[in-house]
Amino acid sequence: MRTNDGLIAATLGALAVVAGAAAITRKSAFGSAVGRRHQPTVIAARRLNRASGLIAASTLLDSGIEHYRGAFHNRAMIAPLVVSALTLAVSAHGTRDARPVAHRLRDSVYAGAALTGLIGTGFHLYNIGKRPGRFSWKNYSWQNLFYASPILAPSAVALAGLLGYYSERLRESRSTGAPRVFGLPAGRALAALTAAGLVATAGEAGLLHFRGAYHDPFMYVPVTVPPIAAALLAETAASRPRKPRRLARWWLRLTTLIGFVGAGFHIFGVHREMGGWRNWRQNVLNGPPIPAPSSFSGLALAGLAALGLIEEHPHA
Amino acid sequence: MTVESNQLHDALHVPRGKDGRAPDPLRVGGWMPMREYREDEAVDFVIVGTGAGGGTLACKLAEAGFSVIGMDAGAWWRPLEEFASDETHQDKLFWTDERICDGDNPLKLGSNNSGKSVGGSTVHFAMVSLRFRPEWFKCRTLLGYGADWPLDWREMWRYYGEVEQALKIAGPVTYPWGPKRPRYPYRAHEINAAGWVLAQACEAMGIAWTETPLATISAPRGRAHPCVYRGFCVTGCATNAKQSALVTWIPRAVTAGAEIRDLAMVGRIEVNDAGLATGVHYQREGQWRFQRARNVVVAGYAIETPRLLLNSATDRYPDGLANSSGLVGRNLMAQTNQGVYGVFDDEIRWYKGPPSLTLTEHWNYTDTGKDFFGGYAFMAQGPLPQAWVSTQAGNRGLWGEALLREMQQYNHQAGFKIVGETLPQERNRVTLADEKDQYGLPVARVTYSLCDNDKALVKHSIDFMSRGLDAIGARDIWAEEDDTCHLNGTARMGDDPATSVVNADCRSWDIRNLWICDGSVFPTVGGVNPSLTIQAIACRTGDRIRQLAALGEL
Amino acid sequence: MPDRYPGYDVLSKRNTASWNDASRQVIDARLAIVDSPEFFDERKWRTLRAICDRIVPQPAGRAVVPIAAMVDRKLADDHRDGYRDARLPPQREAWRRGLAALEAAAQARAGVAFHRLMTVAQDALLRDMQCGRLDGPEWDDMPADLFFRERVAHDILAAYYSHPVSWNEIGFGGPASPRGYVRMYFNRRDPWEAAEAKAGHEAAARDANENM
Ligand SMILES: Cc1cc2nc3c(=O)[nH]c(=O)nc-3n(C[C@H](O)[C@H](O)[C@H](O)COP(=O)(O)OP(=O)(O)OC[C@H]3O[C@@H](n4cnc5c(N)ncnc54)[C@H](O)[C@@H]3O)c2cc1C
Ligand code: SF4
Repeated sequence: MRTNDGLIAATLGALAVVAGAAAITRKSAFGSAVGRRHQPTVIAARRLNRASGLIAASTLLDSGIEHYRGAFHNRAMIAPLVVSALTLAVSAHGTRDARPVAHRLRDSVYAGAALTGLIGTGFHLYNIGKRPGRFSWKNYSWQNLFYASPILAPSAVALAGLLGYYSERLRESRSTGAPRVFGLPAGRALAALTAAGLVATAGEAGLLHFRGAYHDPFMYVPVTVPPIAAALLAETAASRPRKPRRLARWWLRLTTLIGFVGAGFHIFGVHREMGGWRNWRQNVLNGPPIPAPSSFSGLALAGLAALGLIEEHPHA
Repeated sequence: MTVESNQLHDALHVPRGKDGRAPDPLRVGGWMPMREYREDEAVDFVIVGTGAGGGTLACKLAEAGFSVIGMDAGAWWRPLEEFASDETHQDKLFWTDERICDGDNPLKLGSNNSGKSVGGSTVHFAMVSLRFRPEWFKCRTLLGYGADWPLDWREMWRYYGEVEQALKIAGPVTYPWGPKRPRYPYRAHEINAAGWVLAQACEAMGIAWTETPLATISAPRGRAHPCVYRGFCVTGCATNAKQSALVTWIPRAVTAGAEIRDLAMVGRIEVNDAGLATGVHYQREGQWRFQRARNVVVAGYAIETPRLLLNSATDRYPDGLANSSGLVGRNLMAQTNQGVYGVFDDEIRWYKGPPSLTLTEHWNYTDTGKDFFGGYAFMAQGPLPQAWVSTQAGNRGLWGEALLREMQQYNHQAGFKIVGETLPQERNRVTLADEKDQYGLPVARVTYSLCDNDKALVKHSIDFMSRGLDAIGARDIWAEEDDTCHLNGTARMGDDPATSVVNADCRSWDIRNLWICDGSVFPTVGGVNPSLTIQAIACRTGDRIRQLAALGEL
Repeated sequence: MPDRYPGYDVLSKRNTASWNDASRQVIDARLAIVDSPEFFDERKWRTLRAICDRIVPQPAGRAVVPIAAMVDRKLADDHRDGYRDARLPPQREAWRRGLAALEAAAQARAGVAFHRLMTVAQDALLRDMQCGRLDGPEWDDMPADLFFRERVAHDILAAYYSHPVSWNEIGFGGPASPRGYVRMYFNRRDPWEAAEAKAGHEAAARDANENM
């Protein structure tokens, strides 16, 4: 791929992400809905659309940057960009849609994203398998963990798809009694799924910050705050709450915040590399990944959606 | 060259460690305050040379509260603004004063192994930071060759750990050879294609390999930027990623109260009637001056250290200082540095990244299947164009069309070079020539010949590496038969004044307040690059001096 | 010789993040070297130039690198390497003596100056020098083969491969600070590196190189 194409693609991608994120977070989207908009399942579903969209925005930028590094040497490397962009778009649509029915297109895009994430993981494993050292747990497996195709990255695409797919199921779930999805109590199942996502993402942040030698004490934040959020969510999923989950709610809000603050830190980190932003073509690739932390925000939003459901419907 | 910009050469002409301040290499145009000592008041220590040995020791002694002056003949550089990405220009970092080489295998010095700047050779070294194999400290007893060191490997293991932390060495999580060592402080760097070639060859030959522990940071550290993989390491790191003495020990030393005098060439150590050193005569800004000191440490590297000791001869010490054993200047060991190269269909582009990102120490730790004493490591390579053409022309005698065509394969070449152990031989030595240098001091004559054991090691290595390249499908494989690298020996340490120059504490047997703390003190060299060991010894010496002072034994 | 990196010019990166001020100053100065002698006299200069043309035969149709002038400046400044084989005199004297001895050999063999010989004859003389087959009083104990290796080949080739034109020829990235490199694996190229012409895809490489 020619440099200019890469530049144009990157710029367009960034624009799309900003536009999508703006659409998702627009408060008015919630206010403008009519009729049964206060139905808790729909509210939770829309929150999930938002969460999914945020994660998709993060994966769109991240895979864009990483696959640009890889010079798109395999055509399939464009797939996560397309899929993430679509996920972002349908999520934007979903956050503005107050109807209690699943949407065909959204549904299939989300399902497609989940599938793409899985296939991507397969691709990345295959790639590592081609390198000397492969998966053997000798020390050069670290080399592959740090520098080869990242194993965990595609699962973020899958996670965005999964959350979105879940939101569609939630939307169409029966409104009488406690909502259930796939036969499970919707709130709890979602809390558990989100907790797992947070743990995995914190794991990835842990690996990458270990790679960066924790040279800044703030680098411990993403390996402490989100796991606690995950624990609170897991506890919520496992118990029958009587009172509102005050602590969990605040902790999830904190987690949302650190996702965005983290991106700010990473922007500063790029500036701190040799040549700073003037040398962006190197430093955006080799410096800290700017879009990565916002996955935490997306997951925390999903966690908040789960809390909302559970508080509304103690049996959900 | 005259036409090249002069302000990039400023540091070579005007001393910077003056007037109570020192350059801060980590900030463009930056300065830091520096303590100054008077010449007529004796300081606790004058250290001649501020490289791996001297720079480290200056830091340790200053931090222990001693008054310390470090002197270096070279300039005090600011890498961020004064280092160009250019092989020719950067020879301002090297010791290019004349030295005369003879013997069966006359050495190549200069850019190949000798630095002249604050920070010494570490300013342009390749950053490979390896520990000795423990048995080498007792290689006469345990392995049957060379000479035993007066040091215990377990103690050295601790000091290696201290240096690795101080330099934030980037290395593998676990190291395949030798006793357990802690994880390296920073993660290993990404391996480049040239490094993967070595990995593949080792796997094909069924031996272990690893990421090379390197003294260049893989993540930010304070104000130092991480490595940007520009590949100009051996001409100086403009990024400051390289953890040279210039950006590590020296600023620490200055902060702790040491004074560093750049462009200060020491010509002679003064010794009084009682047989004690009283200070050093040095030239700075065109004038000979004298600095009084209670102790003098020589840390000028394996050629300048004996040269200074020999140049300081007096009536009482006609053969030079600390030389009652007659061993000053003898047992010079230049590690062998042969290589093999081949051409690949793949693009390698070996100019990217630090040159030796992977290595194997297999033949350091394996004692069977060898017809020689000692060991060798071999490493991935990444020569820049001038270095590469000099290898091609110097070894294969290529020129004209044939050479140009060969040079066009540059981006498809890969290869390995050894760091090979050579045995100590008394005939390999540094003496004084009749010729004088620009300071009016006799220059060094360096006499070097490989022995049969050295040659057998080289042959073994070339054979093994060639098979490795062949096994992974390299074409046009050829061997670079003639190269050497690091210098050591010439003032060996030991337990016996008759067979060594200094004791385990780097204190000379003959003159109680004269110390030698650099690569010269190695009794043997092993098959690894020496700077980590030099720095570990300097850390130990610093601790020992503090203990001796506390006991009143200085 | 095929053009392996068509359209690649290291200098096109001069104003990018690959070059810092120090590199710009150094390379600018090198490109400004005037092709005339400061150290050698006219006769020796002609001999040196003829030698340079044989050690590095530069392709026609390309700006000529003033290799002889670069060698001349090294000697004018007496910029040494930091070591000298004991059998050689200091570099200035070695060059003076070696060039005079080569002239003498040319005269003895063909009765004309070295630079007037056909290239095959020049090559033959140089090869004899390389193999140590030249001797005579002009050499005064200086071994011809050593002079060839340590001075002729060493100084001339170091000069040529310090010039950006030679970097273009071999696809070297040239100056690289503050920006270094990102893509380290086999067959991976940063957009600011030379693209190599693959058989049948020369135009693509030229395109990439010219749009760097
Ligand atoms: C290109 C290259 C690559 C290398 N790569 C590696 C590597 O990867 N790993 C490794 O371990 N080692 C490497 N080395 C070797 C390593 O740099 C040296 O072994 C080490 O720096 C030697 O330490 P030292 O203290 O003995 O001397 P130096 O570090 O050389 O310091 C000596 C200093 O003393 C000064 N000096 C000498 N005489 C006087 C005097 N009379 N008055 C004032 N000052 C004086 C000199 O100017 C110099 O600055 C490399 C060396 C070179 C040249
Ligand atoms: S490759 Fe790294 S260590 Fe070497 S010069 Fe570049 S930045 Fe410095």
